[in-house]
Amino acid sequence: MQENYLAKWLNGELSEAELSEFKKSEAYVSYMRIIEASKKIEAPEFDVQAALNTFKQREMAAAPKVVPLKPYKQFLRIAAVIAVMLAGSYFYLNTLDNSFTTQLAERTEVTLPDSSELILNADSRVTFSEKKWDKERAVKLQGEAFFKVAKGKKFTVATDMGSVAVLGTQFNVETRDNFFEVTCYEGLVSVTYNGKETKLPAGTSFLVVNNKIQAAEGPKNDTPSWMNNESSFHSIPLQFVLNELERQYNIKVETENVDTNQLFTGTFSNTNLKIALESISTPSQISYKLGEDNVLFYAKNTP
Amino acid sequence: MNNVCEEQTFSSVFTSYSKTIFNYIYYKYGNEEKANDAVQEAFVKLWENCKKVAPEKAKSYLYTVANNLYLNVLKAEKVRLKHADKHSNSISNESPEFVLEEKEFQKKLDDALNALPENQRTTFLLNRVDGKKYAEIAEIEGVSVKAIEKRMHLALKSLRERIDGI
Repeated sequence: MQENYLAKWLNGELSEAELSEFKKSEAYVSYMRIIEASKKIEAPEFDVQAALNTFKQREMAAAPKVVPLKPYKQFLRIAAVIAVMLAGSYFYLNTLDNSFTTQLAERTEVTLPDSSELILNADSRVTFSEKKWDKERAVKLQGEAFFKVAKGKKFTVATDMGSVAVLGTQFNVETRDNFFEVTCYEGLVSVTYNGKETKLPAGTSFLVVNNKIQAAEGPKNDTPSWMNNESSFHSIPLQFVLNELERQYNIKVETENVDTNQLFTGTFSNTNLKIALESISTPSQISYKLGEDNVLFYAKNTP
Repeated sequence: MNNVCEEQTFSSVFTSYSKTIFNYIYYKYGNEEKANDAVQEAFVKLWENCKKVAPEKAKSYLYTVANNLYLNVLKAEKVRLKHADKHSNSISNESPEFVLEEKEFQKKLDDALNALPENQRTTFLLNRVDGKKYAEIAEIEGVSVKAIEKRMHLALKSLRERIDGI
């Protein structure tokens, strides 16, 4: 009898000899009976349609969620765009210069990357590149600032009027409309104005008023007067004095019948407006009238 | 059409194979609830991966999923099988003794079937009740046709030994 003959028998794969031998065996009747009885066996009921409906309700109703667009892919796409934008703006912002600005009647202290310091007077702006600082120490200045430069490579201050180069010193640079003044307090400063270089030793000033180089008196103290809340002038046209008053007090200055070209020598306070107004009007022999946010200077003989 | 995502294709696959999966799991574990779950789970898997499965591969995909579902997780319970009384109404000349004897034999057969190892029982019932060919049972179980023949042979032998009390 061949291997697994019972399985072969059920499948009708026995040879005739094998089959007749099997039929003679004692067990044959038993096997026949088992097979006969098995024909009546039924599996538990299973409702295909009901199962399919259950499935459709649970799964296919939510089909858009399962099958379509891969939301993960969509998400990745958006994430990639955001990442590129973030990286781009990071590099862009990184290349931008650092910049500090003071408003009228304001002052601020800036520490540069090499711990050089500068103090910005009112209505001024300084910009520099932190990234390129190691290669060149350079700042751009509008307005007025006092510099304390740490020793090191050449330090340059570029202004609309001219540029100032130093190696390590303390100096003040002021650029206003038609006004450019550099004062050296320590060390040696080189000022280039109209392509001409001037060496400025400690205790001297370089002054340009209305595009004319003026002989200037050196500083009396070791820091600019504005650092001590005063504004000092030596033979400066009144117009520039009044402009400075506007900047220090954020006030509008008007004049009536006043010669603003007359030279002014003196100092006014940057903290007390009344005293400052007196300091300006008395030596100039003019009168003033103080409004809410403006002041009018007028000649004494006019009402 | 190279996948089963189309609803009509999917439904026809469901209609063709869900009953076999149900019976297969039931014969194996004797648990109707799990057998129903197995049908749902197998088709959920197929639906989720419908793009990757060609219609002609769906059958073996479903069997594989169903087969792995309760592997080493579920313990076989007693399989309760029904026996159709095909003859009791139509044939009236059966003696009460005969009917009683028949019933007793069915009870013995049930017990013997439950005593079989699950792979023999499953093969026997899929072949005898569902009329599945050995080749198809081999596909469901993931084994060779010869292995199924062996299971069938041993199943029949064990059943007789138990029923005849050898």
